[in-house]
Amino acid sequence: MGTREIGRTVEAGRGALTSRPEGRDPGKTLLNRPADRRSPYLSWRHLRIALLYIGLILGAVVVLFPLFWMITTALKQPGQAYSLQLLPDEPTLDNFRRILADYGFARYFLNSIIVATSAAFLATLFAALAAYAFAKKQFLFKRQLFLFLLASLMIPGMMYMVPQFAIVSQLRLMDTYAAMVLPHLANVFGLFLMKQFMESIPGSLLDSSRIDGASELQVFRHIVVPLSLPVIATLFLLTFQFHWGNFLWQLIVTNKESLYTVPVGLAMFRDAHEELVTLKMAGAAISIIPIGILFFFTQRLFIEGMTKGAVKG
Amino acid sequence: MTIKLRENLVAYAFLAPFLVIFLGFLFYPIFYSLYLSFHRVTDLYDVFGAMQFVGLDNFGKMFHDGQFWWSLLMTLYYAALVIPLGIITSLTLALLLNNRLPFRSLFRSAYFMPYVLDMFVVGLVWVLIYSPHFGVLNRLFTLFGIDTFLESGFLGNPYSAMPAVALANVLKGSGFGMVLYLAALSNISPSLYEAAAIDGAGGWQRFRAITFPLLKPITLFLIVIGVITALNAFAEIYAMTEGGPNVDVGGRALGATWVTGYYLFRTFYVSGKWGYAAALSYFLLILTLIISVINMRLFRTEEM
Repeated sequence: MGTREIGRTVEAGRGALTSRPEGRDPGKTLLNRPADRRSPYLSWRHLRIALLYIGLILGAVVVLFPLFWMITTALKQPGQAYSLQLLPDEPTLDNFRRILADYGFARYFLNSIIVATSAAFLATLFAALAAYAFAKKQFLFKRQLFLFLLASLMIPGMMYMVPQFAIVSQLRLMDTYAAMVLPHLANVFGLFLMKQFMESIPGSLLDSSRIDGASELQVFRHIVVPLSLPVIATLFLLTFQFHWGNFLWQLIVTNKESLYTVPVGLAMFRDAHEELVTLKMAGAAISIIPIGILFFFTQRLFIEGMTKGAVKG
Repeated sequence: MTIKLRENLVAYAFLAPFLVIFLGFLFYPIFYSLYLSFHRVTDLYDVFGAMQFVGLDNFGKMFHDGQFWWSLLMTLYYAALVIPLGIITSLTLALLLNNRLPFRSLFRSAYFMPYVLDMFVVGLVWVLIYSPHFGVLNRLFTLFGIDTFLESGFLGNPYSAMPAVALANVLKGSGFGMVLYLAALSNISPSLYEAAAIDGAGGWQRFRAITFPLLKPITLFLIVIGVITALNAFAEIYAMTEGGPNVDVGGRALGATWVTGYYLFRTFYVSGKWGYAAALSYFLLILTLIISVINMRLFRTEEM
């Protein structure tokens, strides 16, 4: 793409922006660093914007290339796995059909859906219940308990592999959905996120419904949950995403093929059929595309949820 | 009195499901792991029946375990590649996007998106890209006449394997740092730049004197997170190199991407040494806690 084309795009975009109040000087609206306003050379500014766009587009190409290459390869004829065509000349969905039907990925996909959905639902529910208690109730050892829970956030996940595995096997839960889900249902970060949100619910609202005769559970269901929907949706998405890719744990607690999730199935497929590249990429696409689509429609929740915990510590 | 009791009961009823799971799967394991680290599994078919108390043997073994120290060294190497590269990439993307441009949010989403994807699966795609002879990257390199990696591929060459894994990880994760940097950038008052411009500071000087210092908390945070992530690295290694390729270090064959997280997995899951793996994870825990404490110190002085 030529610089001139990008320049034109920018020109068009600027038309829309100059209608703003501060739009007297287009440089300020486009590059909001004040110093640029002082630049007397219009052409220099154009060049700068063009370079900026080239940088942005190059960045996107590099970052998204693996994703693109995975999809293209998955659409190629098996014999063309390593061809350099950016778009296959004879695209085929046969790879997807074969990996889903002949190699059991339909089942793995279903397992992934079951595991991720049930885990997300339960983890969100448990966190919401506990967060409500922390946000709106007084009880013994409240402060100590909260600090105690927060302290656990410092422990690295890898630390839990051995003891959690041992516990799950002593409970005789190996090779069950429960084994995949149960150890991860106490989401401390989610509790923290929800507690903060629920603290903003006015207590008078809860009191008035109690006066109307609502039980504690009804207050939770009919007042707290509807008012907390944004944060509930965020946590549901984050836990769904986590369990969709909770590869290591799912790998070690499943030996039965009928319980494999997509990434586990993919690992086994890789070990058994190293050479079936296009099928492998179709399997990878089956694993990645659902999360990609989910992200596309709910990106604001994803980005806020994932970075909020980071900044707060 | 009874009202207070009722209040407590109601609150704990709401807390119960969460607390049961927390105590059973996040709290108890810390002690259980310590118990396991003092034991040795003698029969993998009867793990709990044939557990033998060995005292501190597992910890003692760690100090003579060359593979373990090598794995720590490789983890350090991995962190030394991923962290600076990740910070530079995140910061560059954030600075590019910190301009009010059309399609700004589209670019932001595009850069962030890979972060939500599964590392293992993305790793498999990179295996294809890095593969010998016909891999895309090798084709690109041959265009420029470089055929160093033609036979081995980028993951089969001991010198390029770790940088290749690191690059894959950086490109997947940099959107996260970018969003943090963008949020911090938007908090910097424009008047600071105006004042600097009046004083005649150029672009680079303004970056060095204003932008970079004000972004320091984010940079520190990314460093700490980066170290912990490197200590836990598993999926990318399992997907791309399985610890290899082997290099000869003083007569011993050691894996060029043999990081601690992967070694822990192998010790536990492949070799079935539960006790030793528990001891290794305890070591990791202590290392992580030390890093966290240093981190908190740094942040505290930052605020004062």
